[in-house]
Amino acid sequence: MSYVFYPGCSLEGTARDFGLSTVAVVRALGIDLPELPDWTCCGSTAAHQSDPLLALALPAKNLASAAGRTVAVCCAACYSRLKTANHEIARNAATRRRVAEAIGRDYDGRTPVAHLLEILVRDVGLKKIAERVKRPLKDLRVVCYYGCLLSRPPEVTKFDDPENPTLMDRLMEAVGATAVDWPHKTECCGASYSITDVDTVLALSREILAMARAAGADAIVTACPLCQLNLDLRQKDIEAKFGESFDLPVFHFTQILGLALGIAPRELGLGSLVVDPAPLLAARVGMTG
Amino acid sequence: MSHRNQLAAQLAGRVGPADARGPGADDARARRVSRAAALSDRGADFAAAVDAASAANLAACLQCAKCTSGCPVAARADIRPHELVRLVQLGQLDEVLGSRLIWQCTSCQTCTTRCPQKVDIAAMNDALRRLSRTRAKVCAGTTVPTFNDIFLRTIRRLGRMYEMGLMASYKLRTLRLMEDVGKLPMMLKKRKLALLPPLVRGRAERKRLFERCRQAGDRKP
Repeated sequence: MSYVFYPGCSLEGTARDFGLSTVAVVRALGIDLPELPDWTCCGSTAAHQSDPLLALALPAKNLASAAGRTVAVCCAACYSRLKTANHEIARNAATRRRVAEAIGRDYDGRTPVAHLLEILVRDVGLKKIAERVKRPLKDLRVVCYYGCLLSRPPEVTKFDDPENPTLMDRLMEAVGATAVDWPHKTECCGASYSITDVDTVLALSREILAMARAAGADAIVTACPLCQLNLDLRQKDIEAKFGESFDLPVFHFTQILGLALGIAPRELGLGSLVVDPAPLLAARVGMTG
Repeated sequence: MSHRNQLAAQLAGRVGPADARGPGADDARARRVSRAAALSDRGADFAAAVDAASAANLAACLQCAKCTSGCPVAARADIRPHELVRLVQLGQLDEVLGSRLIWQCTSCQTCTTRCPQKVDIAAMNDALRRLSRTRAKVCAGTTVPTFNDIFLRTIRRLGRMYEMGLMASYKLRTLRLMEDVGKLPMMLKKRKLALLPPLVRGRAERKRLFERCRQAGDRKP
């Protein structure tokens, strides 16, 4: 299968480490993932809250330039917006016409969109990934946190079971880690309000951290740059506000995968994590320095 | 006679014998009832307009409150999601468009996913946010519309997000100057913020795209 990479804005900014680790991991697995030239923002929450046509036109402009290749996405918000645009454009001729007028070309809504998790588990295959493991993570207990936008609404994303997705759990198990079952896989962290409504974000993210700790996890593994940012960057604020201590490293799933594949921490951008993962990695993965 | 006036006259006829209230009372009653009918018509218009703008399938709501049970912000909100749907159906325009809930909603789509009647509550809420802005009913205290405007202006100009620029504009516009400023050195050290704005070709094309979307929005009521 032929892919083209749509990194999304977060992977060039606050989730630069997600971008770095993605590039390192796909290189190690031999996946060709050229970047979509001159891609633009999907419009994110701001667009769909403000202008329904713009919310479809921005993704459509990118999808139309993919020339039939599968658009590979890491950000759950981009994924949701691209999938939603496809869904709306493909099922409604009037919508397709209006989008065509806005972007200056016809787009049929049929460019395939896949999250990197789907590509790794469904296209590459867990068996092949397991064969490449150089550093089995057998002492690492993680909870996989999917957030909202990968699995909801299921009619649009067709990602996995919307209440109990397992793609990331299976990937973590394939590289030797223990994926602990827990009930907060798809709870909301308050993502889009990280700046505008911090109180809500702190309260919602606290629930997720508390449940991860109660489940006995050493770390949280995420598949969305906004989820990762809230749980990691705001963890100190949450601890201060609620008088609790979590000290739970929050990884992008590509970082854990990269460690298992034997990639150097620097190439995976581990230094960008706010909650320092070094003590955990020294204790459970035998990595020092 | 229009259907509405017919209805009003019929309703007026049931209020009581005209002669008991003196001359003109019947007319006044008819006018009152006509006004009430017109109001409820506007209510129905509002529900229909929201439904048309969102394809949310609002009439199917059973008030089972499953949306509210799963909503991450319902416990903190002024009204709850299933109540919001009912208020829209009843045409309670001011209460709906001025509610805090519509700006507290995180667009997590849990309500839409779990609704047994396939009511797309999240899509309804997007339509309500837009209406709330066009009718200048946005509740006090939320900075979400300001944030959205700055976000979209950044995309229009640069093509991609530029977090430093976005935060600077947002802080100036909302005067939340000190929030999270303490995190800045750490974020820069950990290279979580790009110093320079992104360079993406096609600025004129982007401008046209935004302009066409805006014009299309103006054409629609």
